[in-house]
Amino acid sequence: MADILDILELEQPASEISRDSIIHGDKVKKKYVTAKAVKRPEGMHREVFALLYNDNKDLPPLLPTDTGKAYKQTKAKLGMRKVRKWVWAPFTNPARTDNAVFHHWKRAADEAKEYPFAQFNKQVTIPSYSESEYNQYLKSEDWSQAETDHLMDLCQRFDLRFIVIHDRWDRAAFRDRSVEDLKERYYGICATLSKVKTNPWSNTVTMVNGEKRIYHYDAEHERKRKEQLRRLFDRTQDQIDEEQMLITELKKIEARKRERERKTQDLQKLISRADSGNLPPISQVNNNNEGTSTPSNTASSIARRHDRKLHKKKLTAQQRPVRTVESVTVEWSGIKFPEARGTGVWLRSQRMKLPPGVGQRKTKAIEQELRLMNIDIAPTPTEAICKHFNELRSDLALALDLKNALASCEFELQALRHQYEALNPGKTLTIPPSICNMVADNETKPVGEIIDVVGSPSAHNTTI
Amino acid sequence: MSCHDFGPDSGGRLKGVTIVKPVVFGNIARYFGKKREEDGHTHQWTVYVKPFLNEDMSAYVKKVHFKLHESYSNPNRIITKMPYEITETGWGEFEIVIKIFFLDPNERPVTLYHILKLFQSPLTVGGPPQTGRVLCSEAYDEIVFQEPTLLMQHLINSAKPITNGPWIHNTNFEEKKEKMLQKIVTAQPKVRGEINELKERLQLAKETIAKFKEEIAKARTQMTIQNDGCSSMLSGL
Repeated sequence: MADILDILELEQPASEISRDSIIHGDKVKKKYVTAKAVKRPEGMHREVFALLYNDNKDLPPLLPTDTGKAYKQTKAKLGMRKVRKWVWAPFTNPARTDNAVFHHWKRAADEAKEYPFAQFNKQVTIPSYSESEYNQYLKSEDWSQAETDHLMDLCQRFDLRFIVIHDRWDRAAFRDRSVEDLKERYYGICATLSKVKTNPWSNTVTMVNGEKRIYHYDAEHERKRKEQLRRLFDRTQDQIDEEQMLITELKKIEARKRERERKTQDLQKLISRADSGNLPPISQVNNNNEGTSTPSNTASSIARRHDRKLHKKKLTAQQRPVRTVESVTVEWSGIKFPEARGTGVWLRSQRMKLPPGVGQRKTKAIEQELRLMNIDIAPTPTEAICKHFNELRSDLALALDLKNALASCEFELQALRHQYEALNPGKTLTIPPSICNMVADNETKPVGEIIDVVGSPSAHNTTI
Repeated sequence: MSCHDFGPDSGGRLKGVTIVKPVVFGNIARYFGKKREEDGHTHQWTVYVKPFLNEDMSAYVKKVHFKLHESYSNPNRIITKMPYEITETGWGEFEIVIKIFFLDPNERPVTLYHILKLFQSPLTVGGPPQTGRVLCSEAYDEIVFQEPTLLMQHLINSAKPITNGPWIHNTNFEEKKEKMLQKIVTAQPKVRGEINELKERLQLAKETIAKFKEEIAKARTQMTIQNDGCSSMLSGL
């Protein structure tokens, strides 16, 4: 209690009488008073105050008291060996011809050695030719001998630094030549001379530059490369932006192409599934095709007939070397609802659940179609409703598959048409309007996709 | 006849027999008119399962489990006698799992799912919820006993009427069924027509693709004859 009051610097109630106050009454009072005497002035930081008044209430020392050796630096010892001596010594550079003497620091032990950087003074050997050699092998319509001599001289002087050679080219005497021209001529001479002079029957030097391999300088390629770089560098900001835009557009188109291919593959799977004796849904669909409710035996006969027809089609398709996707004339099954289980109790509404094989996307699409037709997505489950509802959804799924297939076909047609136009400029192929135009009436979405595949840049917002 | 007569081997099933027993399940709810002080509850509701026809389900139903939201004290409620219903108060909507067990242990229980409904759907919200107005949300389903056990068949057939008067539901399911069936049946030929039309167009599309390919092949061969290098460059593109 008293501690808290101390901390809060509250007046201790004088009237409080306890065992403690009776025994140590005086002491407590005194302590309180001394504490008050050294009260921290307002605005002074606690740390500063603590420097002035510590617990002992000693004054801070006026002189630094720490005189120990604790922080003194010990002498650094970096190696085990004895220190070697350095001397300021004169030297000559053998690369220089003027015998100039310079001074530098070097180890006393290295005094006798040659200047170490002299080894980097490499000399290029420039091939030489005699007058007769020139007339025999090196004659050129474009280059006179004087000009060639001038080139070889510059090459010697500037160690094949062609940029410098180009800069020092005697433009007064000879016509201006590009770096590529100079290089072409020089390397051409080198190649010819090395070929000629290494021949055993040649009575002159057999080796040029000690090289056996002939360096071929492709001047045309170099010119193109530099032109390309120049163009790349000279692009305006607009051009850069356009290029960027085109690249993103290309990526998008490629992504869409992959998507289409994936879809076609899926369809292919679907078809092969339908092919491998998945007769019930086919016969059902066929039944619908005839538009009448034929009894089951005729329906199956139609299915068989159709199957045969289909086989024939497939055979002809195989004879022609077209991609398998094109030979697709097969029916697709809609949704295959599981058959009623053998025995036991079940709920009618379970029969209306879509089988797990139907993806979420398709489910959504079917539900959307149902909503458009104002049909409850979970109707009252009676036997008749269950049957018809499942049939309806199966048909809707089939219709959706067909629409997708049609959309990918149309895409392919567009692609083929572009291909044709590229091959045969000025000519074009006409896509029968009934393939695509009616899609616009029934469903606006695929058309939108197709338009932006064809790709006006302004339309690309809609694709995202 | 007592159940005992069928003995433990009543698992034998009746071939080719299917019995359908429609049920109605759902809830009714009533708004207090205000939020109750002590627990914040706003509605009283009753969730129920009842036969669609005037037949006493308890003849063949052993018990019905209602699984409420976990915030209720003992959320698993078991009802063994008609009426199969639970009345509670609350402030929120949640899914109730209703499981119906049958007297014959050889028949597996069936599970119904119902979203407890307390509030009017947004369409009808005009003003504050009205006191005393009873809201009803119920659904129809059919329990199908396919090849039931002899015992089960016997139990189902022994069901007696619940009342001598008319047995009415809040929702007119007969009318609903009829309208729905009508809608679906009229939609079917439309969709099938669309399918046929799509198939024709697809056929046409396939043929056109084949034709285009031929044209391209032709154009390409011409091209190769004319200018070999050029065409190879183009196909490279």
